[in-house]
Amino acid sequence: MREILTMWRDTRMIMLVAVVAAVYAAVLLPFKVFTILPGLTSVRPANVFPVIFGIMFGPAAAWGAAIGNLIGDVFGGTFGPGSIGGFLGNFFFGYVGYKMWGNLGPLSSGVEPDFRSKPFRQLVEYAIVAVAASTACAAIIAWVVDALGLVPFSVLAPIIVTNNTIAAVILGPPLLYLTYPRIKDMGLLYTDLLRDEDVTVSTPSRSQLAAFALLLTPLVWIGVGISLFGPSSTPQIAVGALLMVVFLAGAALGGERLSSIVGA
Amino acid sequence: MSDSPSLYIDGDTLLHRLDPRAKLALAAALFVGAYAFLDPVVVAVPLTLALLAVVLTGALANLLRLWFILVALFVVGLVVWPAFTPPAGPVVVDLPFIEITRRQLTASLARSLRIVSFIVTGVAFVSTTSNEEIVRGLRGLGVPYAFCFAVGTALRLFPTFLGAAGTVRQAQEARGLDLSASNPIERVRKFVPLLIPVFMTAFRNVQTQAMALEARGFDTQSDRTFYNEASFDAVDWAATGLSLVAIVGVAALALSGLG
Repeated sequence: MREILTMWRDTRMIMLVAVVAAVYAAVLLPFKVFTILPGLTSVRPANVFPVIFGIMFGPAAAWGAAIGNLIGDVFGGTFGPGSIGGFLGNFFFGYVGYKMWGNLGPLSSGVEPDFRSKPFRQLVEYAIVAVAASTACAAIIAWVVDALGLVPFSVLAPIIVTNNTIAAVILGPPLLYLTYPRIKDMGLLYTDLLRDEDVTVSTPSRSQLAAFALLLTPLVWIGVGISLFGPSSTPQIAVGALLMVVFLAGAALGGERLSSIVGA
Repeated sequence: MSDSPSLYIDGDTLLHRLDPRAKLALAAALFVGAYAFLDPVVVAVPLTLALLAVVLTGALANLLRLWFILVALFVVGLVVWPAFTPPAGPVVVDLPFIEITRRQLTASLARSLRIVSFIVTGVAFVSTTSNEEIVRGLRGLGVPYAFCFAVGTALRLFPTFLGAAGTVRQAQEARGLDLSASNPIERVRKFVPLLIPVFMTAFRNVQTQAMALEARGFDTQSDRTFYNEASFDAVDWAATGLSLVAIVGVAALALSGLG
């Protein structure tokens, strides 16, 4: 996980954080009017960005998504304590993608996410990554918002999962097909920008364990949170804290498989 | 939405003049006040103070811009929370399919007021704090310079990309792209032609912007000095002290069982 801190030494990664944040916020805001559940969520095509930017820009996308969502809150008029959840949730929305791509064992395509070769296998892998990222984001935001007594976990979490997943799964493959080769040609993949010692590569078995932890922990979190405990209750908050620790442990365990796929 | 995406309103009120860190402390006090209690009468106190701040700073127009969000969140809270609150006390709403007790009603009202209070406080903060002050405040709180720089740059780039997104959208609609589909999935799919140009325009210049920064001595490793250092005046200390006293007082009252 050290790359999320060491990336701040590189000027191009810092510029990427700023640009990711600005693009995310700029596309979030005009679509706030397309409401699904009034006041809670709207059609958010921008939700595809943290996932595909995460795969391409690595830790810069994680920070950029977090900052971009915060800017969306400030300019959209919803800035408040709930923005802490939005910051954390969107950070991991961008973080999960580059940790998981290539680490899903038999479910991985084993190629770069450009949808040129093995398109069906890439689609399966991408869909799993998108669901994991969307679910992690939803679980974290709903946990914080529930703890603040604003909206019950069991109401908000399924809405965010659905909203994030629809945008990410439908828009992600065509966007990656059209942009990944160009971004790679520009030399802006995180593997091109970070120093070798910052792009940690762990053993395949450990990376797989981490990837499945990142996939399963948020799914269990949402299942347990919806079915077992009442909103804003101590068990709900405590289980969320425990699963957050497990999720962070999964994040810390894995290396970045994408880096070895692209030969960095 | 007006031409400018910003909610900041230029002014010379006491709140405008306060250091952003002092404003954050005041906002935190109102947030804690709204969070600590579940009696709607008590939650209404921080909400009233936040509304007062909005009116006195001339930010009422911003609140009116957001009326739909406020009303929607209030109503959603009132509708949702009774289902998650154990019934107690006399029945106050008795309809064919639903019964709501007094406890369920007051708890729902308090939670709805809490979320409205959070948003109104947030509006008061962003209406009186410019982008530059937000970044200066972060720096003053000890947030690393590189992070503050990224936030500041994003805040500067964001209106440019917002304008580009709007221009691309108009251009594609002029070419016949129909964004009015009622199916949300279909609507989302149609945004691909809008996203690509905005996206690629944004990233094309990252390398050159980074080189330009480094050519001007941008360095994330060494300590920086600033020409215009923020001063934390007596009035800022007073506001921060008042906020701390309020937070401690609210915590004590909440622990003693009030509200």
